[in-house]
Amino acid sequence: MLEIKNLHASIDDTKILKGLSLKVNAGEVHAIMGPNGSGKSTLASVIAGREDYDVTDGEINFLGDELSELGPDERAREGIFLAFQYPVEIPGVSTTNFMKTAVNQIRESKGKKPLDAVAFLKLMKEKMKLVNIKQELLSRSINEGFSGGEKKRNEIFQMAMLDPKLSILDETDSGLDIDALKIVSNGVNALRNKENATVVVTHYQRLLDYIVPDYVHVLIDGKIVKSGDKNLALELEEKGYDWIKVKN
Amino acid sequence: MIDTINLKKILSEEKDSKVREMKSSAYEGMASSLLNYKEEYKYTPLLRKIEKKFNSLSPEKSLNKKIKDYKGLIPQSEKFYLFILNGNYQESLSNKPDNILVSKYSKLSIKQKEEFSKSYSKYDDSKSDFFSSANTINHDDCLIIRIERNKALKENIAIINLIDSSQPTYFRKCIIVEKNSEISFSEEFINSTNNISFSNTVSEIFLDENSKLNYYSVQNMNKNYHFNSINVLQKSNSTSNFHTYSFTGEIIRNNLNIKLEDKNCYANMYGFYAVKKNSLIDNHTSVDHMDENSISNEHYKGIIDEGSNGVFNGKIFVRQKAQKTNAFQSNNNILLSDNAKVNTKPQLEIWADDVKCSHGCTVGQLDEEALFYLMSRGISKKDSISLLLSAFSSEITEKIEDEKIKEKYENMILTELEGLNHG
Repeated sequence: MLEIKNLHASIDDTKILKGLSLKVNAGEVHAIMGPNGSGKSTLASVIAGREDYDVTDGEINFLGDELSELGPDERAREGIFLAFQYPVEIPGVSTTNFMKTAVNQIRESKGKKPLDAVAFLKLMKEKMKLVNIKQELLSRSINEGFSGGEKKRNEIFQMAMLDPKLSILDETDSGLDIDALKIVSNGVNALRNKENATVVVTHYQRLLDYIVPDYVHVLIDGKIVKSGDKNLALELEEKGYDWIKVKN
Repeated sequence: MIDTINLKKILSEEKDSKVREMKSSAYEGMASSLLNYKEEYKYTPLLRKIEKKFNSLSPEKSLNKKIKDYKGLIPQSEKFYLFILNGNYQESLSNKPDNILVSKYSKLSIKQKEEFSKSYSKYDDSKSDFFSSANTINHDDCLIIRIERNKALKENIAIINLIDSSQPTYFRKCIIVEKNSEISFSEEFINSTNNISFSNTVSEIFLDENSKLNYYSVQNMNKNYHFNSINVLQKSNSTSNFHTYSFTGEIIRNNLNIKLEDKNCYANMYGFYAVKKNSLIDNHTSVDHMDENSISNEHYKGIIDEGSNGVFNGKIFVRQKAQKTNAFQSNNNILLSDNAKVNTKPQLEIWADDVKCSHGCTVGQLDEEALFYLMSRGISKKDSISLLLSAFSSEITEKIEDEKIKEKYENMILTELEGLNHG
């Protein structure tokens, strides 16, 4: 589904990704772990198409298409979803209105008719249950005055609404207490199926107790230096990142 | 430009001695009002443009069509409307509510004239503003609107200004809201010529004790130089709500001057503007807190695209007597192009010591982080920008009490935002 080859990316002439390769197939969950500043969030942003980053070398193929020429909106329509580490507050736009516009623009790009008000409301109600989010919250301006947990739940709610093929969760566990972490993880697990894939970007092993990965990759200084199964995450938790740095 | 005014002719055509007196004293004061011009119109070259385009400051009174042929231009959606053609009230094309007085000054009885002389040209800014003095001299027959005491008019009254002249036009009105009364106006300006036109409007509004006024206005005139001065005098416990919406034109200059003469007055001023091409929108406002315990609240927001300019100047005066004043002011701008420009200036003069005043202005660009967030959910760049800009405007439109007007203005904003080129 996703194939990244030798990816180099920089921001303001600072090189961050230095030859990263990664292959994700449908039905898989991959965890990207790494210390601060290793390039984890950059990887998530570059896949989603954030324009601040320059891809200087390498390629990102998604479902057979090269992504580099596509804007973030076009990537979303292809089926890529980024759950933000710091979801943005947008005063004056309600989440409901936002999602209605997004769902219908994605449908339109696939030649489908837009959902009418009734069908949209039904879809929303169904997805709201998944992350236990209230209608009242969704009628308010996007993320404005939301708690940390509410913001992350809203991200997973949006993910559920858009039904992406590839979801990238950028530090979704940051700022969550244990109850919120469970709700968010349950939401993510409920959305997993054989057709879609998930990339979880995280500092800590903790999240991986709830969202169990098939593969764990360790990202250090812009490259994946080690890959393994979920036991690698446990080993990291025990020994710290220095263990790998030393070995390399 | 002053020499293009034929005062002798104007005075010979004016039958009312008091109005004649008013006009000649405005003429005498015109040169001195030019002294203020340099400062007050620092970023708005209205006079220079008018000198270039028009031979004279005086209006041309002949009409392009017969009056009844203008009937088709009246919007069907309004129940009550006052139709103003080139600055002159057209009674035959208007539909006013029965219980208010709407009349040209010349048609009033002597007693009524006496009553209105307290307001007519008594607190306008023609001593300090060149264009207001030009209005005092050149306007033909002031329109008087009066709401008697203890009346609350539920229905809004539309004031439709149609400009169909290639010469300057002048509109003058006095609105008197008596004690315990309430009324709402929505004013709009339509330019039906394809040429550059110049419309000059001065209003004096008197709000007596415990009265309330809602005043909505929308300025959406291609190729028009528009000067609009609204001057308000408020008595105790009165409330005024002004909502001013301006879209692409040539030059729009608004003066909104509010005097809170007594205790416990409340004044709200909300404004929104969205302009493109090479338009210039200039809002000059002033609030004068003259007595205790009054509140003024001002919020203007604007979007400036292409080579357009925005000007905001907000004056707040708090006199020594005006203790316990609350005065708030804010102006926020978004620039969409490298060539767009805003000059914004809060100006506070506070003589009392027990007051709460705040002011702030911002000039910024679209929030790139928010734009990325919206686009990352599959919404096109153009639509994401429109969403962000209409969200920006919603803080102003949500203050509109009248749902029908709110919907109308929101739609006008959407149309305008869709037409922006972002650069």
